[in-house]
Amino acid sequence: MANELAALSNELATVVERAGQAVVAVHARPRFSSSGAFWRPGIIVTAEHTIRLEEEITVTLPDGSNVPATLAGSDAGTDVAVLRVDGAAGSPISRAGAVPSPGNLALAIGRSQDSGVNATMGIVSAVSGSWRTWRGGRLDHYIRLDLTLYPGSSGGVAVNIEGEAIGIATSALSRIAGVAIPASTVDRVVDEILKRGRVARGYLGVGLQPVELPDHQKGLIVLSVESGGPADKAGVLIGDILISLGRHVVVDTDDIQTVLESQGVGRSVETELLRGGVAKKLAITTGERSRRS
Amino acid sequence: MRGFGEISERLRRSTARVFAWERGGGGSGVVWSADGLILTNAHVARTPAARVELWDGRCFDARVVARDPRRDLTVLRISADGLEAAMPGDSASLRPGELVMAIGNPLGFIGALSTGVVHSIGPLPGMGHERWILADVRLAPGNSGGPLANAQGQVVGINTAIVNGLGVAAPVSTAMDFLRRGARPALGATLRPLRFGLLILEVDPGGAAVAASLRAGDILLTSLGELSDALDSGLDVMRLRFLRGNRERVREVCVQLRAHAEAA
Repeated sequence: MANELAALSNELATVVERAGQAVVAVHARPRFSSSGAFWRPGIIVTAEHTIRLEEEITVTLPDGSNVPATLAGSDAGTDVAVLRVDGAAGSPISRAGAVPSPGNLALAIGRSQDSGVNATMGIVSAVSGSWRTWRGGRLDHYIRLDLTLYPGSSGGVAVNIEGEAIGIATSALSRIAGVAIPASTVDRVVDEILKRGRVARGYLGVGLQPVELPDHQKGLIVLSVESGGPADKAGVLIGDILISLGRHVVVDTDDIQTVLESQGVGRSVETELLRGGVAKKLAITTGERSRRS
Repeated sequence: MRGFGEISERLRRSTARVFAWERGGGGSGVVWSADGLILTNAHVARTPAARVELWDGRCFDARVVARDPRRDLTVLRISADGLEAAMPGDSASLRPGELVMAIGNPLGFIGALSTGVVHSIGPLPGMGHERWILADVRLAPGNSGGPLANAQGQVVGINTAIVNGLGVAAPVSTAMDFLRRGARPALGATLRPLRFGLLILEVDPGGAAVAASLRAGDILLTSLGELSDALDSGLDVMRLRFLRGNRERVREVCVQLRAHAEAA
């Protein structure tokens, strides 16, 4: 009694089975486990917000065995954590070649120790360009998922109908929907974490507020200066108005983040500001943003 | 293409409404045989008699044939024949990701369809070894006892509960085992898991727990998994350690079990 619905159903189950070969359960918090995916040989990616232990992390592999994993590093800003598993021959998930379009079918695939692989289905409900998360990280795309992420699904992989990874599914980056951390962003963060153990973000140590200037230009007024911070050391005062940073005009705090991202840590950044209506130039040596505890 | 609409219409004719006499509300049921066997949840039909309304509006008094509170299943009998019985599927070969649909009477909507995929198949955390189908399907009170079907319209599960938003269904293989062999031995008590044991909230009159003089408030020093293993061990006597009042003193009791007891 074959029908097209049954054929689609079979296809979906096959996609889950195949992609599930790269999906593990991650035990790094009390009560609920979370999910993760083999991104490279021996390298598992999961959602940073589900990691509550730094040691004695274990993962349940697709064959049902439990093995220890070590935390290679994590980035709260993009909600990516990287785990290393020695000797585990997990086949990495294959990546989708293109960014999905709104309306494409999507499956979120996770795993739990007791019941094995699990899946939910829905569609990609929105896709946009570069997006800054409320945690301060930057995703290459904002990919909103119209599917239910149950407890334990976060850190699993969001795949298209071909079973290729769109990204890592997380419920922590948006209040209204699950989000896929794009595969390209995961690649970038994994590279940086494997190289340096963390994702360093430039830091000025100032509190800023956008203001409009009398000549209709915009700037950012300094409301607070962290004592001993990079800006303080460079001589920035409360009441200064930032006009440009690293030769880029800044009108919003987002602009500052973008410049700091491209500049990195420990670099001298040319800063233009207005003090008492007079233009002034300073060089601030960027510090490193302290990591979320 | 045979879509959800066509397949669900066939299934809808095999789905009944089930009302318990005393309590309001009600749930759903699956027409299991053309000659009047209706499968539903034990928590839907709590009383020895119930009322069943078929898809065409005909109403029947129903008698409870067997009841298994541990698997939350009840089979009812109505005096009717020529009914459109549901087609059972193979729950053992069900895979995560497969399309499934649920039909029932949630929140008073009659014959409502919800669709989704199988989330996973396995035990519920802290609830023993029994395997359940977890489905990414929106269920609501009133879906209980209704069918969960695969893309061919074959019944693979009996919708039983909602846990963390997921639909939980008893696999149809469990239901068939129940129909064939009757209820498994039960303790006859409502239990709440504690960190170190199981608190008895309520005992069923006439159940094994009452007969062994266990009562509400006692704390059994076991887990749900161990308890279900003991109940299914095939022995007709089960030894239980428990606390009553004074937490220092561990008491012991022998519970007489009736193997595959019939409720009716």
